[in-house]
Amino acid sequence: MSGKNSFEPRIIGFLCRWCSYQGADLAGTSRRHYPSNMVPVRVMCSGRVDPTFVLKAIADGADGVLICGCHPGDCHYQSGNFNAMRRYPLLMKALEQFGIEKERVRLEWISASESEKFALVVKEMTETVRRLGPLEWNRRVFQAGRRKT
Amino acid sequence: MAKLKLALYWAATCGGCEVAVLDLNEKILDVAAAADIYLWPVAMDYKYKDAEAWPDKFIDVCLFNGAIRNSEGEHLATLLRAKSKVMVAFGSCACFGGIPGLANVADREGVFARVYGETPSTDNRDGTRPQTSFAVPEGELTLPHFYDTVKTLGQTVPVDYFLPGCPPATKQIWAVVQAIVAGQLPPPGSFVGVAEKSVCEECPRVKEEKKVTAFLRPHQVIPQPEKCLLEQGLVCCGPATRGGCGAQCINANMPCRGCYGPTERVTDQGAKMLSAIASIIDASDEAGVKKVVDQIVDPLGTFYRFGLPNSLLTRVRV
Amino acid sequence: MQRITIDPITRLEGHGKIEIFLDEAGEVANAYFQVPELRGFERFCEGRPVEELPRITPRICGV
Repeated sequence: MSGKNSFEPRIIGFLCRWCSYQGADLAGTSRRHYPSNMVPVRVMCSGRVDPTFVLKAIADGADGVLICGCHPGDCHYQSGNFNAMRRYPLLMKALEQFGIEKERVRLEWISASESEKFALVVKEMTETVRRLGPLEWNRRVFQAGRRKT
Repeated sequence: MAKLKLALYWAATCGGCEVAVLDLNEKILDVAAAADIYLWPVAMDYKYKDAEAWPDKFIDVCLFNGAIRNSEGEHLATLLRAKSKVMVAFGSCACFGGIPGLANVADREGVFARVYGETPSTDNRDGTRPQTSFAVPEGELTLPHFYDTVKTLGQTVPVDYFLPGCPPATKQIWAVVQAIVAGQLPPPGSFVGVAEKSVCEECPRVKEEKKVTAFLRPHQVIPQPEKCLLEQGLVCCGPATRGGCGAQCINANMPCRGCYGPTERVTDQGAKMLSAIASIIDASDEAGVKKVVDQIVDPLGTFYRFGLPNSLLTRVRV
Repeated sequence: MQRITIDPITRLEGHGKIEIFLDEAGEVANAYFQVPELRGFERFCEGRPVEELPRITPRICGV
């Protein structure tokens, strides 16, 4: 899709193995179309997602980060996703202070059967981040902040 | 045995690391017996041009404290790196950016606008700002270039050892000095004067179960002396901070502020602390979590107090 | 005009530089004192909780 808006957002998605990743697979086998801008990373549980992962994704060039886990109460490990639920608002508060728009990092509960929701979330997030523009943390913030003149 | 040649320098600093060295008290005489000091602006009258005249690798050990804020700090870091066999990032500013690193919430314009314009006690109607070059009738005066971003020493030149702390605990400084004199330093790139594990290991308080229903600010509680501060609802950075300080702050009934930086395998201390704090929130729905998170008023300043330049994002996007 | 540069000034806390200009008679024609350091506490203390200020501001001067 070239043309006047040629920015293709790069979104890193941390999907939990038991629910969200299966939901993503189901979207694929059901031939639901969704943008290829999201690069999935399978984790065993959304509770595995350390805030460091989100920051590293941003520092390494991601324009957005998506975290998906089982619905609260359905976690394969009982309470792992509660950790994600607790970390997310505090992380968002910190990211706001860093100057990162809140729409760039999103937490969603997506079960193994919710292929439609998965496709919708990825589509919505891709368009939102496309509107926000590239983040390019390394070039625009890190390197720009180190100019010596 | 020939005396060691020592240099101590400060970039964006407060001088506290120098005082920590002086806190060796009478042991400073042992240092003077083992070493000759060739540069130490707080205590001795050597000039930059003296350092520029040394041959390369002249100095055995350079203890460099302070963050790199401007071109003068960068110049001295580069110069002293070339002139020294061993370069030690001394103190949290050199290791992680330290308190001056908090200036990475702004850029040069943000800092200058506030300092030279907006502060209530400033009367600067002409809008005078520091210039890197300024012509006076007698000639040209120069000032260093103030960077947009504070850097750590390690982000500026290769560093051999890191001795963190704000300031480093004097007993750790003494241990490192003895290791230097005995020639028994660990492999280059190591942190020295630190414990293996986090401050929690050194903390004498009783730790039971961490389930926090509310984070309190100091005016809301008088901490009990025996119990873990986190369990009492005070944000203590002990879990995400490297030990070695002897838990001095905690023993003074104050929560740890994180000055010794992260433990060895942690990339981003602030992210780890954020994760630790979030994980002990005792709430089981989004509204309950939000209520507790709202009590942490300044996540960036709380979790990245000493390590903003050393973090994954390094600075705020302005 | 002879110029004497004292850089850095020593045996105190802080960075400073002094430029002294001498006339032909060797008398001081003018002298300039410059402070080549700034950390910006005035800026980064903004937004910090008030209880943090007694922990941040002592790092203005550790002496």
